[in-house]
Amino acid sequence: MEIRPILSALRHNMTGALLIATQVALTLAIISNSASVIRDRLAVAQRDSGIDAESRIITQRPILFSQIDLANLIQTDLDALRAIPGVESVTITNQVPMGRSGWSSTFATERVPTAPSQSAGLYFDGGRLLETFGLKIVEGRGFRDDEIVNIDPKVQNPPPNGVLLTRRLAEALFPGQSQFVGRIFYQGNSPDAEEMRIVGVIERFTTPWAQTGPDNEYAVVFPARYLNPFNHYVVRAAPGAEAEVRKAMEAALEKNEPGRVSVGQYSVQEMRDRRYRGERALAWLLVSVTVFLLGVTASGIVGMASLWVNLRRKQIGVRRALGATRGDIVRYFLTENLLITSAGIAIGVLAAWGLNGVLMSELSVPRLPLDYLLVGVLLMLLLGVIAVLGPALRAAQLSPALATRSV
Amino acid sequence: MLGYYLQLGFRNLRRSPVLTALIILTLAVGVAASMSTLTVLYMMSGDPIPQKSARLLTLKLDNYPLDFNDTEEKLPSILTWTDVRNLREDGKGLRRTGLYGISGIVYPNKEGVKNFFADGVAVDADFFAMMDAPFVAGGAWTAAEDRSEARVAVIAKPLAEKLFGKESAIGRNLRMDSEEFRVVGVLDEWKPTPKFYRMDSGSSAGSDADDIFIPLSAALAAHRDVSGNTSCFSNADPGFEGLMRSECIWLRYWVELGSASERAEYRDYLSAYVQRQKQLGRLPRPDKSGLYNVREWLQEIEVVDDDTRLQTWLAFGFLSVCLVNTIGLLLAKFTARTAEIGVRRALGATRAQIFLQYLSEAAALGLVGSIIGVAGAFGMLHLLAKQSPDLEQYARMDPTMLATTVVLSVLAAVIAGLLPTLRATQVVPALQLKSQ
Repeated sequence: MEIRPILSALRHNMTGALLIATQVALTLAIISNSASVIRDRLAVAQRDSGIDAESRIITQRPILFSQIDLANLIQTDLDALRAIPGVESVTITNQVPMGRSGWSSTFATERVPTAPSQSAGLYFDGGRLLETFGLKIVEGRGFRDDEIVNIDPKVQNPPPNGVLLTRRLAEALFPGQSQFVGRIFYQGNSPDAEEMRIVGVIERFTTPWAQTGPDNEYAVVFPARYLNPFNHYVVRAAPGAEAEVRKAMEAALEKNEPGRVSVGQYSVQEMRDRRYRGERALAWLLVSVTVFLLGVTASGIVGMASLWVNLRRKQIGVRRALGATRGDIVRYFLTENLLITSAGIAIGVLAAWGLNGVLMSELSVPRLPLDYLLVGVLLMLLLGVIAVLGPALRAAQLSPALATRSV
Repeated sequence: MLGYYLQLGFRNLRRSPVLTALIILTLAVGVAASMSTLTVLYMMSGDPIPQKSARLLTLKLDNYPLDFNDTEEKLPSILTWTDVRNLREDGKGLRRTGLYGISGIVYPNKEGVKNFFADGVAVDADFFAMMDAPFVAGGAWTAAEDRSEARVAVIAKPLAEKLFGKESAIGRNLRMDSEEFRVVGVLDEWKPTPKFYRMDSGSSAGSDADDIFIPLSAALAAHRDVSGNTSCFSNADPGFEGLMRSECIWLRYWVELGSASERAEYRDYLSAYVQRQKQLGRLPRPDKSGLYNVREWLQEIEVVDDDTRLQTWLAFGFLSVCLVNTIGLLLAKFTARTAEIGVRRALGATRAQIFLQYLSEAAALGLVGSIIGVAGAFGMLHLLAKQSPDLEQYARMDPTMLATTVVLSVLAAVIAGLLPTLRATQVVPALQLKSQ
């Protein structure tokens, strides 16, 4: 295919070609960056929480204000919940994964102020926490029932002793190590920080905030029931029994103390949906922007190509009269479009990198992966060809007689 | 003449309907996407209390222990009770209030209304005047009631209606947990957006209106638990008394100055206060205390998050593609009329007249596009609000943004029309006439 005549024809039609190239460049820059953000956010929203069956773990949070003897009420509640048919396991804890609010504390391996410390979610295991959430122990063991103590905040501060932590936190506290059970660490790095000993390592357990960074898996578990009004009962329902268990939970808690107020009943799955609503919303917004952009750019190419075909009716007629086949005409428009699109793509690749650089420094946006850019390039080429095909085919249908008719 | 050209422009919309529809749609979609995200950004960075945001101040103090190894760049946005008590007692400024979040179970004394959980804040009497909170009935409690730790409450209108129906709530009792509060005031719809007075960095809990306001002194006397963040850098004694004595941080403090010009004076006072505390052995680290007015505070706690900014950037990138596309489509639309332009020029129309006529046509397209664009923006905002309850308070179009949307789309159409119009004025009449 001879490119020179196409180029010289383009020189006479610079404006249109520039417009299309600009549009292709901008579109490529935006959609490749969007795609990378979409993947990033959806991946964050699908991270493993360490919980094996999120839709079967139901949490309920009754406010335990009116009772004086909290320890007793909690035990009565737990017994009632465990007695519900279809309930596999029950626990009480101070916070739930992805519940978006809760306790955190800092942990360090030395009691000197300069020692590095890690902030981690602080869970209380009121008995059977691992079993209820379906968490895996990778080293050591979970708590025995007789290790669980009651902590009254009005009398004393939590006395930590043997605790569990997540593997990620253990690796952050003891870099380069692989055996953690029996090791000592501290709650904080001040000289009077409480000492604690690792009895078990949990494979994975996400924090209530499920942060975007690796610290979303930094958690420590204390063997305790914390006697304040704000606790979560967590129930593990048998497969298929979720709906009945949910109803029975409400009834059982109401029966133990009539008129009780609860701040809602959620499965961990529902907690996940609420936690990641923002990520999903952004991803879907970007998906729709991408779809619209592709549509707009395609319509631009169709419009411009149709215009050129109309402007060149006579020339097309002359070429056909002089022996050019229909294929030649189609090929002419395809090549022309390919040239313009390629120029746009060349600028677009630079623009995509530039935009990504700005977004990375200004906002929390990941680096643009090369394969995303590559897919974007191919997509734009394909879009260009498909968009121009219609007008090009119509051009090929023009009769050679046109050349003679309107001179 | 311009009016006539606009009229012509509207009439010409019907010519080449497919192109016209494409142009209008492109404009409308671009405008809808950019304006809906811009509206959210605008509402988020809006001033919740414009009449006095410059003289309403809050502050941060650095009470970390000397050897604290802080990795955070910013100081926390909450304070110790010791500091809030001292600042209140010093009495600087026109009005002042300490503040912390509370919650409790409300026991309605009414058939058919179940016990429920309510959020509120513990504040000082000045709070309502400082925040210009509007009352429908009654008013704030008095400074004397603050001092006597009186169990009084100001409640929001929805709560008053839920508890007492159509009857007046003033003088009635509200039972929260084991305490009875006498209602002294009912607030009208009051929803500062954002809820700056108790909002925190990265927190999304600031969207619901507070229902119950009780005196800070009474809340402390009853040892009411803190609903909100509490941070301790060293061990505190057990119980609420221990919390109050500790260096744990959990309260906020707002002060209203008589005028914004008194700020330098207050800054001096704050520095002097820090020095005094240092002499008492507190606040051991170098003075990094900060003073913020409402607007500065909203920036400090980063109300506008990165995702919102990202959305806005991309939406405007999208609009720019739509603009480039509109230029191309207008070029196509106007080029199809070259012959007509040739005739008009031959009949004596000047280039300036052609320019004005075709730009008017672009503006007409912009107007139609703006109507669809506004509808689209409302639709998008509705979707955004549904996607996330945190966004709901921001996803609302106000008259300013509505006007901006219309102006933006007409402006976009006119700017996009410049190049095609200029090309239209370049038509050589003789050439066109010859070819007919």
